[in-house]
Amino acid sequence: MKKIVVPVLLITGVLALSSCRKDPAKNLSGDETLIYITNHSDSVNFNSFHTFSIADSVAVISNGEFMGKALTGVDAAYINAVKDQLTQRGYTLVAKDQSPDLGITVSRIYNTSTGVFDYGSYWDPYYGSYWDPYYWGYGGYGYYFPASYYGTYSITEGALSIDIFNLKDAKQTNKLNNIWSGLIRGSGVFGQANAAGGVKALFDQSTYFKAS
Amino acid sequence: MKTQLFVTIITGLVCITAIPVAAKAQERTLQLDINYSVNIPSGSFKTDAIDKTSFRGWTANLLYNITDKISVGLGTGFQDFYQKYPRAVYKLDEGGEVSAVLSNSIQTIPLLAQVQYRFMPGSIVQPYVGVGVGGNMVVYDQYLGEFDNSKSSFKFAARPMAGLFVPFRKDGPAGINIYGAYNYMPYKSDGIDNLNNWSTGIGIKFPLR
Repeated sequence: MKKIVVPVLLITGVLALSSCRKDPAKNLSGDETLIYITNHSDSVNFNSFHTFSIADSVAVISNGEFMGKALTGVDAAYINAVKDQLTQRGYTLVAKDQSPDLGITVSRIYNTSTGVFDYGSYWDPYYGSYWDPYYWGYGGYGYYFPASYYGTYSITEGALSIDIFNLKDAKQTNKLNNIWSGLIRGSGVFGQANAAGGVKALFDQSTYFKAS
Repeated sequence: MKTQLFVTIITGLVCITAIPVAAKAQERTLQLDINYSVNIPSGSFKTDAIDKTSFRGWTANLLYNITDKISVGLGTGFQDFYQKYPRAVYKLDEGGEVSAVLSNSIQTIPLLAQVQYRFMPGSIVQPYVGVGVGGNMVVYDQYLGEFDNSKSSFKFAARPMAGLFVPFRKDGPAGINIYGAYNYMPYKSDGIDNLNNWSTGIGIKFPLR
């Protein structure tokens, strides 16, 4: 017996070591969880625009459905951060009725993924062998679990999108062409403290985006 | 002087004859060695994915001593490699750019057919060389921020190694195992040619029966 105990203990210890995988997601701090994605139209010369206007509220989109407009503290922080960045890059903020060259919208996007835990799966069909009904004095009986023993979970992931449209050429093209999009994803995206830094990061990686 | 020489020769002969007798004790036994391992990436692994040394790993070998010098069996192990890179902007394949803190997390789990050769069975320190050839389960997770792109694959692996076995007691089958090895692990995926790495480890070896 003694002979087997030592190897078993050693093997257990070694297997425990295998669970020592460093979890990359848990090893991120502050805004390291966030990613900043930008896309732009290659055929557009960003120098050709001079003025911009930005929507005064944020669209909230949940699982592909428009939920309405909002202006929370976080929304305002993002709108102001976009204004600051474009102004610093040489563009002039104007009212939307003053024929801005660029129109800007900000959207909050939520995607919820759901799943179902089947609590029944652990008992069916062997529960009677774990807990023999005989124990209760009912030998030969079977167990019954209500079919509604399910649990659901949901995970909601948020993202913030900034979309910039070419209003200057809209009349010629008959379209509001998107010329630039920025997306911020990750935990804490809707934290007010991350707004200025996040928007700055989007524009910093878009070095072509300047008025002159 | 003659007496001294005689005693030396007799002692030498006794030692020489004693070694094979002692070594016989290790013949036809099944032995397991379990080791803590530290691995250092090299080649493309180091330049294209992770250059940090991994201190999270183990190896194990189940070996049958077919003679006092030769053992055959199976070798396996686990090694966790990880590195986090500071935020940088990367071009996306489909166009656009992404700014992210990039983390590479790679686990290698080889399963190898092993053969080992001991040079001085029965001595206090027993040097050995070995080689293992087989497959390698690779789990590769690349994180952009908190977003994981995970993939697993099974590739070829070979592990030439050299080590020392130091029995706890003279002629005993259990003892300390120390080794150095080179893990040859072709990968050719995700811009990484191989996951080759140097390995060193220390552990214990003991008989199972």
